Amino acid sequence: MNRRELIRAGALVGAGAAAAVTAVTASRLSGPPKDPSGPETVRKLSVLTQVKEDVDEDVLLRMQRELVTAMAKPVEQRRWIMVIDTRKCVGCHACTIACVAENKLPPGVVYRPVVTEERGEFPNVQLHFTPRPCMQCDSPPCVSVCPVEATWKRPDGIVAVDYDQCIGCRYCLTACPYGARTSDFGEHYTDAAAQGAPEGQDRPMAGPHAPWEDAPNFEYGKQWSRQDHGSPTGNARKCHFCLHRLEVGQLPMCSTTCIGRATYFGDANDPNSLVTELVTKHHVQTLLPHKGTSPRVYYVV
Amino acid sequence: MVDTSTHESQSQAGLAGQPEGSSWSRLLWGAWFVLLVLGLFGVWLRMSQGHLPAGYGSYVPWGLWIALYFHGVGISGGVFLIGALGYLLNLPGFRHGTVLRLILSLSVAAMVTGLLSVWFDLGRMDRAHHILVSPSFTSMMAFNAWMYNAFLGVVGVSWYLSYRPASSWLKPVLALGAFFALLFPGQSGALFGVVDAKPYWNSAIMPIMFLTSAITAGAATLLCVLALLRPRSSTPGSADEGREADVLRSAELQGLLRRVIMAGLCVYFVLEFAELSISLWSPGGHAPAVELVLFGVYWWVFWIIHLLLGGLLPLGLLASSRRSAWGVAAFLVAVTFLSTRLNVLVPGQAVGELKGLQEAFSHPRLSYVYHATGMEYLVACFLVAVGMAVFFLGRRISAVAISRFESRV
Repeated sequence: MNRRELIRAGALVGAGAAAAVTAVTASRLSGPPKDPSGPETVRKLSVLTQVKEDVDEDVLLRMQRELVTAMAKPVEQRRWIMVIDTRKCVGCHACTIACVAENKLPPGVVYRPVVTEERGEFPNVQLHFTPRPCMQCDSPPCVSVCPVEATWKRPDGIVAVDYDQCIGCRYCLTACPYGARTSDFGEHYTDAAAQGAPEGQDRPMAGPHAPWEDAPNFEYGKQWSRQDHGSPTGNARKCHFCLHRLEVGQLPMCSTTCIGRATYFGDANDPNSLVTELVTKHHVQTLLPHKGTSPRVYYVV
Repeated sequence: MVDTSTHESQSQAGLAGQPEGSSWSRLLWGAWFVLLVLGLFGVWLRMSQGHLPAGYGSYVPWGLWIALYFHGVGISGGVFLIGALGYLLNLPGFRHGTVLRLILSLSVAAMVTGLLSVWFDLGRMDRAHHILVSPSFTSMMAFNAWMYNAFLGVVGVSWYLSYRPASSWLKPVLALGAFFALLFPGQSGALFGVVDAKPYWNSAIMPIMFLTSAITAGAATLLCVLALLRPRSSTPGSADEGREADVLRSAELQGLLRRVIMAGLCVYFVLEFAELSISLWSPGGHAPAVELVLFGVYWWVFWIIHLLLGGLLPLGLLASSRRSAWGVAAFLVAVTFLSTRLNVLVPGQAVGELKGLQEAFSHPRLSYVYHATGMEYLVACFLVAVGMAVFFLGRRISAVAISRFESRV
């Protein structure tokens, strides 16, 4: 290369390197405000206004009242956390199934499995149950790896997914150490259920699968129908603390259906909330703390 | 200048199409046709049934196609890097326009194969453009996607300038392309390296291993193509073609590639030994994945495909002085180095951080065991057929472009 070519080569390589560094730095520095905040996010809910508060009332009622209080604040002043008392969990899987029903999860998609662990040696054995929702990490590894900004941390701490933006690359699935994200591969419970069935009026199903499987779910406050490969088919999916229920003053489905009252939910910014009380009074732990993800789900062990 | 183009025009025509009616040509076309037919069946399955016939799931979300993607872009970068450095350093054979355009065509073909491969893997193929329209450069994946496109642009400009070797822009553009080709294979390794959730991936050596693998597989693919191509040097009255054929078949050019492959294999195995031996010596977080690679259900991928067919046998063949053996060795390395990607990809995912998660909710998609399905292999056949077709078209277009350029001059 002569001198002119060398200068040109240096300029091109330098420009390429500068463009790359600028792009990465800009992406790192900018936190796109995806969600509305401020007064427009305040919800004046009339839930439980007719039910008198009682000192001995069920913790679900207390948490629901606290939820209404939290929703009366702008979104950026709420900080949702979940506390799971593993001493109370009996491994009934009611939360898992309730979550599946609430979010109309297809086969192979699960937001809240309950991990069962057998400890000790026979005959001195004990079963230990660990429900595992999304940890809604403060440093979520799934967010930074998303190549299209389809997932982000909301001001209230929930890690959300934009089903219309997600391309289904599944990089976030690999990045989550908790395995909390699953992909919707487009399966149906009734796939092939009518295989070999007669055509016409006697056919048990009109289409390839039962029509109820196309009924929409309401995740993130929108209607999502999987009909005709509609989102969230092909997308990454995860627990979102039943955001759509919170907006109308209802607790997450797993919390509501827990028969042992082992799942607590509330606003950590409220010093009088039950979850704050539990976190401060008990020795709580987080899952895989060495990963540095700062989970917002705590376990009383 | 005119003379060079004339030589190249005739030579390209000879390279693009094999001697009519030769058994070698029929064999290549036959292989391509079989791959295409099988592949089209796979594509039909993929398009009509989506991901349902695929073997990957939510706990092992990436499978054969992603391995093929990294192998494809690795070969693309490796081939270009060798070609550009060979041109810039004036190594024997590399300064010839025919060789340069062959390298560019091969690089584009491998890149197209790789990108198509990842496209088939997407859950929402219809939204693939989002990665270019609204990228987040905090993700190595978005960064890579932009890099690939920038690289393809540079390859296009290099191809155009290759017809104007006197241009003072050709070498600077090749230098830029070499810079990209050096970066993105390493970035492929970084894509895994930054994933803290997978201890086996989360290693600083990963980008270097991917880069080494890319250069080795790139050199092997190039040598394999040179061995497969049969320029009509013996055709009566084609003295110019004979001279071009001499360049492509020259012992210097092929010998250089042979040395690159041998060095690449040795370096890769040293890096691999460092990675695996440390884990076995002092088992840490990534020990279960390493044990899976060496002694688990995928043992045969490492010991037979990677080590024996992709390492020891090619090294033995390359050590011989018979050039036909080099071609076989190059073919083995080019194909079996896919296993280096699989050996990183699958075992890394097949070990969960949370014990008992697989049993917590039972479904075939929630399993840490992955085996590629027939549909995945069939689509892979299609991708290889597309790669071959793109390479062939690249050669044809290069030949036509020479004629056009010639007539203009």
